[in-house]
Amino acid sequence: MEVLQLIVNGLMAGTILAVPAIGLTAIFAVLRFTNFALASHMTIGAFAGFVANVTFGLPAVASLAFAFLIAGLVGVISDELVLKPFRRSGFITTAIGSIALTIALENLVRFIFGNQLRGYDLPIQRDWSFSGIRVSPQQVENFVVAVIVMAMLFAFLAFTRTGKSMRAVADNPMLAAIKGINANVVARLVSFVAMGLAGLGGMLIGLDTTIDPLIGFKTILQIFAAAVVGGLGSIPGAVVGALVVGVGEELSLLVLSPAYRTAVGFIAILIVLTFRPRGILGQRAY
Amino acid sequence: MGLLTATGIVAGYGAADEILKGVDVRVEPGEIVGIIGPNGAGKSTLLKAIAGLLKPKAGSISLNGQDITGREPRDISRLGLAYVPQEHNIFPSMSVRENLEMGGYVDPKAAKARIEGVFTRFPMLAEKRRHAARTLSGGERQILAMGMALMVEPAVLLLDEPSAGLSPVAAEVLFNAIIQINKEGVSIAMVEQNANEALAISHRAYILVDGKNSRTGPAAALAADPEIRRIFLGG
Repeated sequence: MEVLQLIVNGLMAGTILAVPAIGLTAIFAVLRFTNFALASHMTIGAFAGFVANVTFGLPAVASLAFAFLIAGLVGVISDELVLKPFRRSGFITTAIGSIALTIALENLVRFIFGNQLRGYDLPIQRDWSFSGIRVSPQQVENFVVAVIVMAMLFAFLAFTRTGKSMRAVADNPMLAAIKGINANVVARLVSFVAMGLAGLGGMLIGLDTTIDPLIGFKTILQIFAAAVVGGLGSIPGAVVGALVVGVGEELSLLVLSPAYRTAVGFIAILIVLTFRPRGILGQRAY
Repeated sequence: MGLLTATGIVAGYGAADEILKGVDVRVEPGEIVGIIGPNGAGKSTLLKAIAGLLKPKAGSISLNGQDITGREPRDISRLGLAYVPQEHNIFPSMSVRENLEMGGYVDPKAAKARIEGVFTRFPMLAEKRRHAARTLSGGERQILAMGMALMVEPAVLLLDEPSAGLSPVAAEVLFNAIIQINKEGVSIAMVEQNANEALAISHRAYILVDGKNSRTGPAAALAADPEIRRIFLGG
């Protein structure tokens, strides 16, 4: 029974983790670098949601939309002003530049909101219990939001002209240019959507616990692990990777002290990349 | 004045590295023009310069009387010139149908009818419309790449080594498709390693050597020339 409870917890946590992991992998697919600034955009989303929820009194779901929007806009601007000039110098330079950017943005949030832990304004609800498995209504709501957002993203990529043009640039940028797809527009769009997802993910994690400026920084390694395990650049891969990391971390509690939880993601990277160097779903599957 | 005229093209990939040293080619309406020559002669570079992927350092290119020198690939494509690169000419993770949609990206309103047109012309693509493009064979990929180019209803089609790496049977299918497209009024300029085949289906041909025009004339006359036979056609 304890194992089942841990698996349920892991699936819930993994589904939420998948949202920002999709952002990381989407940026890699189109712009060809790992954008660690995702961390600060999670923080920005969490705090934007806090302002909407606590200051303006909006319900959680509306606040999540606000978190997406603000983090997405900051993502487009910060990419245009800071990261785009780095990209000509290659993958490593841009990735390191993104670490610098994330430290700057995180401290900007700290400067405005301070360091203390904050909580969202949520109704207090009793946990639900299904034959011994306990889940909180908030967890279920977060899970449902994450699933709906991912379904919308998949539909956008599969059925809309803009979504298809994003996949085309990820697949073959040179040919996309020949066919008349504007790579700059696609780059801005992917920054908006990916950082929006990061912001939304930041708030979803915060809804389950509390928020502080470090909320993104504390999770970025798990997210990175999820994206790499699934296959960097593959969106379904990011989902699979996030579920592996989420369930793996929970199950590790059976044998390890909670302090070693974050090691699980890296053990998963070690195991998966040994047998499948391009991740579970490979690099190019959308 | 041809449909497509390139005059005195100088182009290359670096500052001191000129691959094309003043090349002239012309494509008249309804023609298949073969461009042949040894490796490194600049054949592919010439097509890239015409398609707008490489800015020429000197020379001029005009399409239908309009100057297109140094313009963006998507503008050139809108004006009726479609270019099929030799490699990486499909979107591998997208379906066959989606590849065709992306081929017609600049003209989305017409896309639906044109996709049906491409499916009628190449029933194999219709059959595999839902398959990911990476699952196609080499010959099928070249057919798909040509189908994508036809999505803009071009006046001129530039093909870079369409038969490279194909089996003789697949190459035969492909050359027949090229002849068919040409018969329907699309002019074609084709770079080919397989000089015999290229001369067999072309009306005229250019031989490039070391970034310059070497010989030009009706394809049949070039194919019959003993010196050209000795140097380029292996006997």
